[in-house]
Amino acid sequence: MSGPTLYVVLVAFGVVVGVASGLLGVGGGTLVVPFLTLAVGLTQHQAEATSLLVILPTAIAGSLALRRRGVGDLGLALRFGVVGAVGSVLGALLALALPGSTLRLVFAIFVGLVGLRLARDGLRGEEGAEA
Amino acid sequence: MRATAGTPDSRVHLRTFALDRKLLAIGVGGGVLSGLLGVGGGIVMVPLLVLWAGYAQRDAHAISLGAIIPISVAGIATYGVAGEVRWWYALGLAAGSIVGARIGAGFLARIDERLLKVVFGTFLLAVAVLLGARG
Repeated sequence: MSGPTLYVVLVAFGVVVGVASGLLGVGGGTLVVPFLTLAVGLTQHQAEATSLLVILPTAIAGSLALRRRGVGDLGLALRFGVVGAVGSVLGALLALALPGSTLRLVFAIFVGLVGLRLARDGLRGEEGAEA
Repeated sequence: MRATAGTPDSRVHLRTFALDRKLLAIGVGGGVLSGLLGVGGGIVMVPLLVLWAGYAQRDAHAISLGAIIPISVAGIATYGVAGEVRWWYALGLAAGSIVGARIGAGFLARIDERLLKVVFGTFLLAVAVLLGARG
């Protein structure tokens, strides 16, 4: 893929990611990173870095929407996030220090665990369901 | 406008300024996961905020989402310095994703969430295997 075709595919896949995260609260990086490595051919490091840049505007848009509806406390969330940012720098430095293949394996395990949890939640449903 | 205090069923206790030890630990943990794997970190922060720190689901979700803003900025900066960010790819994906999120929100009311979780969970397991095989 190259040029305009690649761009159309990127935007289209972005729509899928948005729908999935809107519905399940999962789907930002969990989908973007595998897509960028397996389909687009980026390295694991490039894919993760780029994924974070996709997540940022989504988080801003979502937070503003919640604030308009009076849900949560954005000030507290941002202060909480500043603490998290320290962790994030450490995590990114660790990732950059790891070889791509190792990082990809760690990521694969993470995606597998997320998948297991979702499937389990879905299968046992009933008693936990609120609606 | 940060009104959640009045809801009868909430376990909310939004502290205005203090970040207690649990919040610190959850924030750092979520941040490390985000930076290491290029994800938001909500997948670990939301359950921990609910089960460990005692927040209501809705508030945990809101706090996690807001926290992802500084967390992802720090991650982008770190990867950016290393030259790993593909800015134009991110722009294309983000443009689609913001549209998709609106569509997804419209589906919310009339979807079988359990089935969706099973299908999507199975799909992620397949992705994990595929990634592992390529690794």
